[in-house]
Amino acid sequence: MKHYTEEDLILYYYEERPRGSSAVGEIVQHLDTCAQCAAVYRGLAATLKAIETPEAPERGDQYGLEVWQRIRHQLPEPEMPWWSAWFRADRLAFAGAVAVLVLAAFVAGRWWSAGSVPAPQVAAVATPATPQTAPAEDSRERILLTSVADHLDRSARVLTDIMNARAGVDISAEQRWAEDLVAASRLYRQDAADAGEHSVAVVLDELERSLVEIVHTPSRANAARLDEIRRRIDAASLLFKVRVLGDELRQREQPGAARPRALTTQTS
Amino acid sequence: MDATEVTAVLARARQGDGEAFRALVEQHSRRAFQLAYRITGNEQDAEDVVQESFIRAYRQLNRFEARAHFGTWLHRIVANCSVDLIRSRRARFDHASTDDLPVNNQPEASDPNPERMAASAQIERKVAAAMSALSPLERAAFTLRHYEGRSIAEIGKTLGLGTSATKHSVFRAVRKLRAALEPLRGES
Repeated sequence: MKHYTEEDLILYYYEERPRGSSAVGEIVQHLDTCAQCAAVYRGLAATLKAIETPEAPERGDQYGLEVWQRIRHQLPEPEMPWWSAWFRADRLAFAGAVAVLVLAAFVAGRWWSAGSVPAPQVAAVATPATPQTAPAEDSRERILLTSVADHLDRSARVLTDIMNARAGVDISAEQRWAEDLVAASRLYRQDAADAGEHSVAVVLDELERSLVEIVHTPSRANAARLDEIRRRIDAASLLFKVRVLGDELRQREQPGAARPRALTTQTS
Repeated sequence: MDATEVTAVLARARQGDGEAFRALVEQHSRRAFQLAYRITGNEQDAEDVVQESFIRAYRQLNRFEARAHFGTWLHRIVANCSVDLIRSRRARFDHASTDDLPVNNQPEASDPNPERMAASAQIERKVAAAMSALSPLERAAFTLRHYEGRSIAEIGKTLGLGTSATKHSVFRAVRKLRAALEPLRGES
């Protein structure tokens, strides 16, 4: 009588066709009649049945968002067609600067050779055009500024509460608040990015990450966990940035207020 | 997200739209973590694997065939990232105490059948210890076969192994696990 090997029986256990066997029926029949193989199979099956699937630690509904927050700044540059390299922003800026220099040299050359300054022309070149913003667009921007400024005020309050929370105290109210703010923050960040307000989007992004971390902290966090959160908030100067940005947006809400150009450098 | 939406999202992501990729990350993260945890047997390692897998997937988006299923493709990347990570941290695994390994359903004082639960926990500890002694490929192949219910052909495709090599990885893993658990069978 031909006996089956342990390997054949492993394949049979996993419902894979044993090697050299024309049909699973053959092995079933053999196990019915061969006590030796049946005993080996029983031992094998008992061992494998005892190995239960380990339960992975639970991950909440926001887990995907957490993963995204962790990897988004690590994503590599996508591979682009070779010709697109010529249209990179830094190269375009360089080309623009060269063009301005050439134009300036041309104007200066004319001035020196003529011995007089064609004042109106120079003025026309040197004076930047005043931005003409349509009233409707202006009003829409002010609404966005107001909303984001309010959002930043609320966020600053949550961050302040967390910074001052004592270990072991229930922070579930702050967490619920932070959870609401996460969703809003995401929308504002997208709006800001679409509107070209990159410095605002950067601060909102940092804020979103901290809020997500607060949401996923145990509601009665121990001192070590709270310290960890506080250290991250401190390291990013987040509370400071949120307050400064909120103030700047409030100032910009005023009609005719100029848009600050270097918000990132001021807040970081 | 249906197939059409996934195709549109992938097209945008391939053009460098990171935000489009976010939808895929949010959809597949939990499943990726589960697989990574089962293969690595360690929560922090599983987190690292999930992150590395998505970064690798994003980098390789141009190689993804639109007709394939993104989840299946990602599953393959996660399995291979897990193998890579176990290889790179082999030394740590070799010295890990079994107390650090995942144990499920720890018996609690209020359990109606504490003896049975204690025996179950003992088996899990033995399994965890034996799993940590497997080679990275044995561990991944066994996980995919035993826990994930994948066929030998699928496992081979996932891990880039031939059928014979895949089978032998599973055989070796089962043999080592049997050897580790055999003393417990004698006790019960």
